Amino acid sequence: MSTHYDVIVIGSGLGGLAAATTLQRGGRQTLLLERHSVPGGAATSFVRGRFEFEVSLHQLGGMGGHGPLRAVLDELDVTRRLEWLEDRDLCRTFVPGEVDVRLPHDWSGLADVLDGLSPGNRPQIVRFLEIVRETGLWQLTARVNLHRIPEQLEWLKTLPDVRRYALRTFREVLDEFFTDERLKLVLSSYWSYNGQLPHRIAFMDMARLLTLYVETRPYQVVGGGQALSSALVESFEEAGGELRLNTEVVQILTDGGSAAGVRLENGDTVGAKLVVSNAPSTTTYTRLLDDPGVVPAHVLQGLRARRPGASATCLFLGVDASPKELGFTAATTFLSANLDEQSVLRGANSLTEPCPFLIVTCYDVQPTGFAPKGCTQVVLSAIQYAEPWESLAPEEYAAAKASYAESQLDLAETLVPGLRDAIEEAELATPLTFKRYTNQPGGAIYGFDQDITDSWLFHDEDLRQNVPGLLLTSNWTTAGGYNSNLVTASRRCQGLLARGQ
Amino acid sequence: MTNPPYTPSVNPLARLLEGADGVVERLKAHAANQAAHRADARAEVEPYHPRKLELTVTELIDETSTTKTLRLRRTAGGSLPPFRAGQYLSLDVQVGDVRTNRAFSISSSPTRRDHYDLTVRRLPGGLVSNYLLDEVSIGDRFTSGGPMGTFTHDPLFHGDDLLFLAGGSGVAPAMSMIREIVELGLPRRMTLLYGSRRSDDIIFQDELEAIERQHPNIVVHHILAQADPGWTGAVKPLNAPLIVKLAGPLTGRMTYVCGPAYKYPYLVGELESLGLPGRRIRMEANYVAKSPPDTPDWPSGVDPTGAVTVSVRGGKSFQMPRGRELIYALEENGMPPAASCRSGECGDCRVKVCSGEVVHAEEARLRTSDRRFGYAHSCVAYPLTDIEVDFQPGNYF
Ligand SMILES: Cc1cc2nc3c(=O)[nH]c(=O)nc-3n(C[C@H](O)[C@H](O)[C@H](O)COP(=O)(O)OP(=O)(O)OC[C@H]3O[C@@H](n4cnc5c(N)ncnc54)[C@H](O)[C@@H]3O)c2cc1C
Ligand SMILES: Cc1cc2nc3c(=O)[nH]c(=O)nc-3n(C[C@H](O)[C@H](O)[C@H](O)COP(=O)(O)OP(=O)(O)OC[C@H]3O[C@@H](n4cnc5c(N)ncnc54)[C@H](O)[C@@H]3O)c2cc1C
Ligand code: FES
Repeated sequence: MSTHYDVIVIGSGLGGLAAATTLQRGGRQTLLLERHSVPGGAATSFVRGRFEFEVSLHQLGGMGGHGPLRAVLDELDVTRRLEWLEDRDLCRTFVPGEVDVRLPHDWSGLADVLDGLSPGNRPQIVRFLEIVRETGLWQLTARVNLHRIPEQLEWLKTLPDVRRYALRTFREVLDEFFTDERLKLVLSSYWSYNGQLPHRIAFMDMARLLTLYVETRPYQVVGGGQALSSALVESFEEAGGELRLNTEVVQILTDGGSAAGVRLENGDTVGAKLVVSNAPSTTTYTRLLDDPGVVPAHVLQGLRARRPGASATCLFLGVDASPKELGFTAATTFLSANLDEQSVLRGANSLTEPCPFLIVTCYDVQPTGFAPKGCTQVVLSAIQYAEPWESLAPEEYAAAKASYAESQLDLAETLVPGLRDAIEEAELATPLTFKRYTNQPGGAIYGFDQDITDSWLFHDEDLRQNVPGLLLTSNWTTAGGYNSNLVTASRRCQGLLARGQ
Repeated sequence: MTNPPYTPSVNPLARLLEGADGVVERLKAHAANQAAHRADARAEVEPYHPRKLELTVTELIDETSTTKTLRLRRTAGGSLPPFRAGQYLSLDVQVGDVRTNRAFSISSSPTRRDHYDLTVRRLPGGLVSNYLLDEVSIGDRFTSGGPMGTFTHDPLFHGDDLLFLAGGSGVAPAMSMIREIVELGLPRRMTLLYGSRRSDDIIFQDELEAIERQHPNIVVHHILAQADPGWTGAVKPLNAPLIVKLAGPLTGRMTYVCGPAYKYPYLVGELESLGLPGRRIRMEANYVAKSPPDTPDWPSGVDPTGAVTVSVRGGKSFQMPRGRELIYALEENGMPPAASCRSGECGDCRVKVCSGEVVHAEEARLRTSDRRFGYAHSCVAYPLTDIEVDFQPGNYF
């Protein structure tokens, strides 16, 4: 091998960036390799005309108060490089003619709003939110303290509600507490941030999402996800790290059963004591390794037990009108066509159903710097799997895009009448678009399909080094999302440094 | 060899939770029933978005004294990837020692997938257009990127009443759009106002005339730079009164503009004076409208012809004039970055500016964070001082 580094990181998504920056700043000479021409993976943006568009970041969790993400970004010397905005609310939840509430980011305010929506349920609401909070805090804490298992076991024994509810579906627990479907829908507002509807998501995962956003408040960053990626790169390079863009790794080379380096698209080989892969686990274990025989059988079987998760269909709109003119007061609105969860499920797997659900994000209630003055960036995101898009013939693709965008816009206009007339730029990204740009199987935006069986509690191998010299850090080894990816990757690398590896 | 049945690696904490055994059983069943994971995601997208196309020139069509159409087919035979009328190809070319590429709008109809037509007009002194017109013959092979660009009709908000202002080779995307409308019988109206230098330099004149006769929804008006003897049509300038006279009221229409970029500021001013809002005007950025020192951000008093030194990290150093787009100098010195649009839009030519200062043409569509963290689009960037840049030649998306 022509050159040698202490560490090679494959992929500059958030998982790769956090690992590379932590290791380089810990004194390990690190080479970061990225196939795309920009770093960041999904944490990126693109420009059309006078507008820039945010690809992935709707709401950043973990930044407020003593948030875990803020701690990591402080340690990586990144926080000070960026300008942060705290959302004024948690979100607005809207169902035409049925529900229109703005949720505040504190527990008692939340109980007030829910009580106002469905009077007469106050005691159940308060009790439910207490269990959500307890379960959420338990999971957020347990997940980063897995090196202290005996202590964690003792603590969990003292939490009977967590033990009782954690592994139920969120829907089951809702049904146990409430009958009002509107209340259930509002409590489920955040389901789309892990891509699983209430009848599939574990109670503990929905509790984690809600608790993270209430306790640390949703944030935006000026310049968007790409600014965060670029700030990580700057810190990495200042510490002496080397980033090569436009450089695809085609193989991970092994030597005596250990990862020892990589082969690049141009044939060059580079050696390293540690290879970190930010590529999906499935890709890393089954396609990239020169000798798949080095992967233990139970790890490969474990991959088969899981499926790629949801992708998204996002309509990016540059709108020639101000948020005020459009009537936006909240950065994030969860918009459902009706109260029927089954129609949302069908919509996630079909292009013929009218779009039933959207995350409507307005990035200019407090401007993130992407739209010209007096204008607005609006992104309409539907959670969808890749299959319906994959089954189209290439020549059917453009027409299918046009018609699905139409359906998304029709639904959005129930919230923002007149939106169509003010559009200046429009671009639709489908699951195939996510596949193309991030190389994620199925265009998955959060890694594996995160139903109950996908919980980290049943996949201890995700956080182990299953092949000597090879570490995986991505969506596919931790829950999807900025906070969990960055925090998990950085903490795991700190662990390696502490053990002197 | 058969493996022992799958046993999930369960965290001890799970054992304290109700329902853990059920989850383990479900996982075991999944591992036994589910298929292996599929192939590389990027490869699956290849039919929709090919990274590179291998093309062969199968016909050369003389259009006018300045213009030829290159008809390209897939070298290996078979259908080409679908595209949307108005998109372009980035054609790789080697002229002498210089490896470079240029964008050309596809002028053929998207309904035809057996070939792409590129209609190339001579740019006096231009490197590639002259090469394509003078040196290329049938059977020559090229590579290109897949179809790209967003200068296309979007049914979501463009509407069905369209106006197209084209100049010179800027008629190529209009031709593709018009061909699509008539071949598919789309319920769209398009008025084309097409400027040419002389009456014998009007590209696609006969075909446009024939289409106009048969399809009342397509209306074409020619505008000449100067009236030739016998010319009864319109003559420059294409100002607001002439636009209204030829095209009628603009209310509610989407207007596309494609031609020499230096004319855009004038044309946009005329359209806006007619009450057309900026969001209803779409321009193909096909080159910088104002080169140094007229670039809006050009610092006063700086000489665009003065020489600066460019060093490429891990490569060599060379001198170039400040007022030239960085990419040309990189290509001439044998270090071409990736590039597709060459007009500041696509970002393929992105380089890191490690030291020194560059200024961008107005067309540059940089991400906010690229400006903040010191990156440049080399196709529309000018070095103001000595600079050091860092980039890897691209592998294309
Ligand atoms: C539409 C959308 C909305 C989202 N909304 C939110 C949100 O509101 N809040 C939130 O917290 N999270 C959100 N997420 C999730 C979040 O963006 C992801 O969890 C995170 O960015 C994934 O990071 P990653 O590092 O795992 O993967 P990626 O970002 O996919 O990075 C992987 C990188 O590796 C590179 N790579 C892969 N293979 C190779 C190879 N062989 N050689 C070289 N490079 C390679 C890829 O090019 C890519 O850059 C959203 C995601 C999407 C797409
Ligand atoms: C999206 C897009 C679509 C295009 N479609 C077509 C098409 O269908 N048919 C066609 O003939 N051309 C088209 N062009 C223009 C084409 O790509 C080349 O720019 C043109 O052929 C000149 O290239 P050249 O190598 O001959 O000149 P160069 O050697 O690149 O140019 C020499 C000098 O001329 C100036 N220059 C370069 N290009 C232009 C220009 N377009 N207008 C004004 N000045 C310029 C610059 O100062 C440059 O330094 C398109 C360009 C873009 C970006
Ligand atoms: S080549 Fe597209 S921005 Fe430079």
